[in-house]
Amino acid sequence: MLRDVTVRYGRRTALEAVSGEFASGSLTAVVGANGAGKSTLLAAIAGVVQLADGAIDCPARQQLAYLPQLAAIDRDYPLTVSELITLGGWREFGAFRAPNTALRARAAASAEIVGLAGRLGRVIGELSVGELQRALFARLILQNAVVILVDEPFAAVDAQTMSVLLDQITRWHQEGRTVIAVLHDLELVRARFPSTLVLARRCVAWGATETALPAMAA
Amino acid sequence: MSAHALLVEPFESLAFMRAALVACVALALSNGAVGTLLVLRRMSLDGDVLGHAVMPGAAVGFLYAGPSPTFLSLGGLASGLAVAALAGVITTEQARRDAGLVAFYLIALSLGVVLVAWRGSNVDVMRVLFGTVLAIDQRALLQIAAASSVILLAIAALYRPLAVGSFDPAFLRAVGARAPYRAVFPTLVVLALVASFQAFGTLLAVGPMLLPAAAARCWGLGVAASMALATGFGMVASATGLLVSYHGNLPSGPAIVLAAGLLFGLSLVATNALRRLTPIGRGA
Repeated sequence: MLRDVTVRYGRRTALEAVSGEFASGSLTAVVGANGAGKSTLLAAIAGVVQLADGAIDCPARQQLAYLPQLAAIDRDYPLTVSELITLGGWREFGAFRAPNTALRARAAASAEIVGLAGRLGRVIGELSVGELQRALFARLILQNAVVILVDEPFAAVDAQTMSVLLDQITRWHQEGRTVIAVLHDLELVRARFPSTLVLARRCVAWGATETALPAMAA
Repeated sequence: MSAHALLVEPFESLAFMRAALVACVALALSNGAVGTLLVLRRMSLDGDVLGHAVMPGAAVGFLYAGPSPTFLSLGGLASGLAVAALAGVITTEQARRDAGLVAFYLIALSLGVVLVAWRGSNVDVMRVLFGTVLAIDQRALLQIAAASSVILLAIAALYRPLAVGSFDPAFLRAVGARAPYRAVFPTLVVLALVASFQAFGTLLAVGPMLLPAAAARCWGLGVAASMALATGFGMVASATGLLVSYHGNLPSGPAIVLAAGLLFGLSLVATNALRRLTPIGRGA
């Protein structure tokens, strides 16, 4: 639920007075030109950037998972795929306790879902862009969140990876989770996403994809 | 000259050499961990800047109490933390941080030199700039040991948030880690730099922290193993530098930093050669 959400970076306004509601269990695509504030909206919902004005009312804030754009991850970091995925259980083990065996088993299971079962021991620097995105999706699966935010999840990944990740998004939707994805491919939005939010700093259209999406072309 | 006379005798016969070695080993223990995190976070330049940020406060401590290690450290700690906080504010407000960092670096260094030269001699200026690792007394040794212990315990306790915060800070914030972990690490860096200040001075303090860590990082190990290797490199560089400075009658602080630099160069060459021999190394 968004009320007059406004975000500024210095003097530049990235988002202005966006209001509306993501229905619980909905699958929404956020589309718009570059600089339209799509990523900013996701970051604001995740609580990573501060609002200049307005309010975001998210009862499930404690059960929210957020995957920013790929560029935000330092791939030179000496971390294994298994360690990366297991971090999805952060809320269960916190900053100080060690992850238990059950959690490790769930981490391995989510790696299998995204097709990374054979790569658990690899360092993340050895993965391709698509494989890293699969690993980050496995981390999202492990986070077991009620609200899932993904920012351009298919940028720079191959078709096969995209189909695996897209299936996972559909599965989340079927499980009744609320999923919000920033996307560029309008054909894909039309085919797979029931709801669409069109942004151009302000909210241009928001609703069922067949009624909202034409606003993008206009 | 026998190996004993070359390697052991200087430490056996001279108390100040022993004190210097113990101080350097204590510093290497904390510097290995702090330096590794600094390199992994790509914050080497920040470390350098914080090293100079210690300077004006140390200079004020010097004006107040002369070359007393306690007042130099307290002053240095205060100004280092102040600059770290200020840099944090500037970073969040604007993206152009490199110019800001360099501005801090130059202003802090010049201010410190002016303050020390105002009341002190050229010898005092040299001491603050390059340190006096051979003039470490018992009190300074205890301060260094205490600071190193605090740093190591803090890193051990906060290892996971510090590690995750360095490769995916957005994730750490999104999972709702509320503690101000972003502030913890710069505080530890300032503490480590103040501990090194007496031995290596403001210009070199970051050397024994960064160079062994950079050398260890070449070998592509995990975080904990890199920390251990960096600590080992730091200790080897300390002993080598002290011995070279003793036999060659050279300034010891720079000799230790040079020894660490040599280890970094050797690591670069060795790991590059290894990679060429085994082409199926780490992929792109």
